[in-house]
Amino acid sequence: MRQQPTAARPQDLPVKADLARLRVEYGKDSRLAYLGHLDLIATVERCVRRARLPFSIGNGFARRMRIQFSSALPVGASSSCEYFDLRLTEALDPEEALAALRAATPGALAPRRAVYVEGRMPALEAWLDRASWELCCLGAPFSAEELAEAVRGVRELGKITYLRGEREKRVDLSATLVGFSVREGDDGPVVELETRSSPAGALRPRVLLDAALGAAGLAEPSSVRVRRKGQWHEEDGCLVEPFGRLFQPGETPLS
Amino acid sequence: MRAARENLFHLIEPLLAHVEHPARYLDHEWGACERQDGPFHLCMVYADVYEVGQPNLGVAILYNQVNAQPDMSCERCYLPWKDMAGLMRERGVPLLSLEGAAPLASFDAVGFTLAHELIATNVLETLDLAGIALTSAERDEDDPIILAGGPSAWNAEPLAPVFDAVLLGDGEESIVEVCACIRDARSEGLSRAELLGRLAEVPGTYVPSLYDVRVDETSTRWGYAVPREGSPASEVVLKRCVGDFADTPALAQRIVPYMGIVQDRLSLEVLRGCARGCRFCQAGMTYRPVRERPAEQVVRCGVDGLLASGHNEISLSSLSTTDHSQCAEILSGFNRELEGRGVRVSIPSQRLDSFGVDMAAAVAGARRGGLTFAPEAGSQRLRDVINKNVSEDDVETAARNAFRAGWRRMKLYFMIGLPTETDEDVVGIARLAERVLDIGREELGRKAGVSVSISVAVLVPKAYTPFQWCGQLDPDEVRRRQQLLLHEIRDRAIRVSYHDASVSLVEGALSKLGRGGFALVHRAWELGCRFDAWTSEFRFELWLEAARDCGLDLAEVACEEFPLSARLPWDHTSPGVDKGYLQREWLRATDGVTTPDCTRKSCTGCGVCPALGVRNVIWGDRS
Repeated sequence: MRQQPTAARPQDLPVKADLARLRVEYGKDSRLAYLGHLDLIATVERCVRRARLPFSIGNGFARRMRIQFSSALPVGASSSCEYFDLRLTEALDPEEALAALRAATPGALAPRRAVYVEGRMPALEAWLDRASWELCCLGAPFSAEELAEAVRGVRELGKITYLRGEREKRVDLSATLVGFSVREGDDGPVVELETRSSPAGALRPRVLLDAALGAAGLAEPSSVRVRRKGQWHEEDGCLVEPFGRLFQPGETPLS
Repeated sequence: MRAARENLFHLIEPLLAHVEHPARYLDHEWGACERQDGPFHLCMVYADVYEVGQPNLGVAILYNQVNAQPDMSCERCYLPWKDMAGLMRERGVPLLSLEGAAPLASFDAVGFTLAHELIATNVLETLDLAGIALTSAERDEDDPIILAGGPSAWNAEPLAPVFDAVLLGDGEESIVEVCACIRDARSEGLSRAELLGRLAEVPGTYVPSLYDVRVDETSTRWGYAVPREGSPASEVVLKRCVGDFADTPALAQRIVPYMGIVQDRLSLEVLRGCARGCRFCQAGMTYRPVRERPAEQVVRCGVDGLLASGHNEISLSSLSTTDHSQCAEILSGFNRELEGRGVRVSIPSQRLDSFGVDMAAAVAGARRGGLTFAPEAGSQRLRDVINKNVSEDDVETAARNAFRAGWRRMKLYFMIGLPTETDEDVVGIARLAERVLDIGREELGRKAGVSVSISVAVLVPKAYTPFQWCGQLDPDEVRRRQQLLLHEIRDRAIRVSYHDASVSLVEGALSKLGRGGFALVHRAWELGCRFDAWTSEFRFELWLEAARDCGLDLAEVACEEFPLSARLPWDHTSPGVDKGYLQREWLRATDGVTTPDCTRKSCTGCGVCPALGVRNVIWGDRS
């Protein structure tokens, strides 16, 4: 097991931004779609430990691994495009790191790519502010056209108010819903959504679907499969790939 | 008719979106044994939700043992939470195992871990959800054989009609022998009755259906069990005991859960058994003798386990870890091996009389959360009655060492309702907590935020302890003493939590009842009692109603004293502790005379070593 250097003086401890920052893309598939975000974080941390990567540990009381994740998926949603950034005390070959991680990770969370990114980029969760989603309505008692009309209707209202637990939440659709399309799939209508998140709020795909069905008086499908299909950073109206900008310090704001 | 063995996860999957914590039902964790080829299939059940059952070391040990056999497989099953159970009943989905998602009713054998008395209604709920008949007598020829074992098997009588066989003592070897016996009997075409007779011949296996319960002037009103005429059952079934504990695999927990569980860390059993002789402690009597693992094995397997699992915390578990003769060596070994890796080593609770300066430094590692000690009683007199063998000085020294080493929070465990207890002893709990708080403030100053939490349980007299003849304290009196204690605590930095007197009463009744108690458990389950160990779920009014329906008074049952000479409902299952020893210990308790620890002084005559042909295994020096 490689050791983190322990320094006697605080000024000798590694500065976070100077540590190698390995960005890893992974999926969240099959039954692990039902893993909650906190459980996912704990699981990935254990995978990193099992992979014996030279991970860095924070200097706080709790001595936590320096790892950041892209925004939480709703429980039940699968994904082909999740990311985490891991700070390493030494920049080992990313392919070697990826192989070690793959060997230590359950298949349904298998890492697909690993690349070093600039250490001073903003945190992943805030930086990846655009996403595309696919919602398959299984056993739906409505057509794709009816569903499209329902979503259009809600979009025109401009906002959705819904209950999360006992708290009322409000989402501004003009800011969070970038676009959508509906098509007829093999198992029922399929909605493709483009969303944008900001510190002011994010749109949960099921919230939009439920609001649309409710407003249009359409009955619930027997189940809905939700999948996140892509995540990007939006800058000056363009989408930047998660691995798009490598080793270009100074172009993005400091975290 | 045995249910067909098939993977039915597709029946559970559509329900996941509608239940709390769907991660409970996912399986496929890292380290789980996915290959379940059998042909003999056992399913181990912990009858509570996943996050409570998964940390159980007993299940992990037996799971590994059976899966290591070439022709046997072992899967796990936990009781679904009420939301999932409701949906499963509504849609006709039977209870499934985790690994193979196979119906529980399709297994050759199903084994329950009885971790505590309050799990009783959950056992019935599990069987009912699985579609398996609740009692041994009602089961068909081909139904699974229902097994049980674990710490609460020492009074298995209230659930005796449920189980086909109960495994007493260490299960490492006996679970394999029992499975082999079932497999062979099935392949020979034996009837169920013949099979059960065969099981009774496996050492340490108690087959309740082979016994009759008699009530006479020599017994309590719950009677005693005697083997049926002509049956192969023994008059007394002695527990199994692994003599060479160091020869068993130290690393039992290989499955890394996805979801947060109640003890979310790697747990390593560093020793088994405890000879301190606390007179209220069932585990201290039933897990004897003391068997340590050598320090080198503990550290090596602990580090291997951390590497293989990815856990960031390891807990050195046992009945009394700081009693390990090489405890300091183990802790320094871990601190050396794990330095700079953000891994924490924890010990569930520390002995007050062995928490020196070195121990404080070694346990501390990099992080200092809370520290737990168990003085158990508030006065020296009462600590002598229960044979706790710690003095006021021990408490003060341990507290001073801990505060000096940097801890700010301390938790102290106490009990009320101990035999001979007076109001003075109860008030003594408050005074002791204040003394510890004062020491913390002396050491760290008044502004350091030192706090003391005291947790006060109610004594539940358990089978095979010197207090097994005692009645439990009347619940009204329990509440009065709890109020007395609360009234005596004057400092806000001392937090008090105490056990609900009603919960303790049900636990006490289930600990005393004989086989006749099954009617009570069954009725309580029928009325809707589930998850009784959960404060949020415990429904005392239903237990009272069940007791009324069965013509019982819970307080009368729990608070009843048994004559010292009476034959007890559990006398036919033995952990090897001599009844005469327990009687002597009870008399010494009433005289306030203590008994030493045989791993430090000479033999105290509990009878375990000669009865089982074993001995204490101590690698260092304990004296």
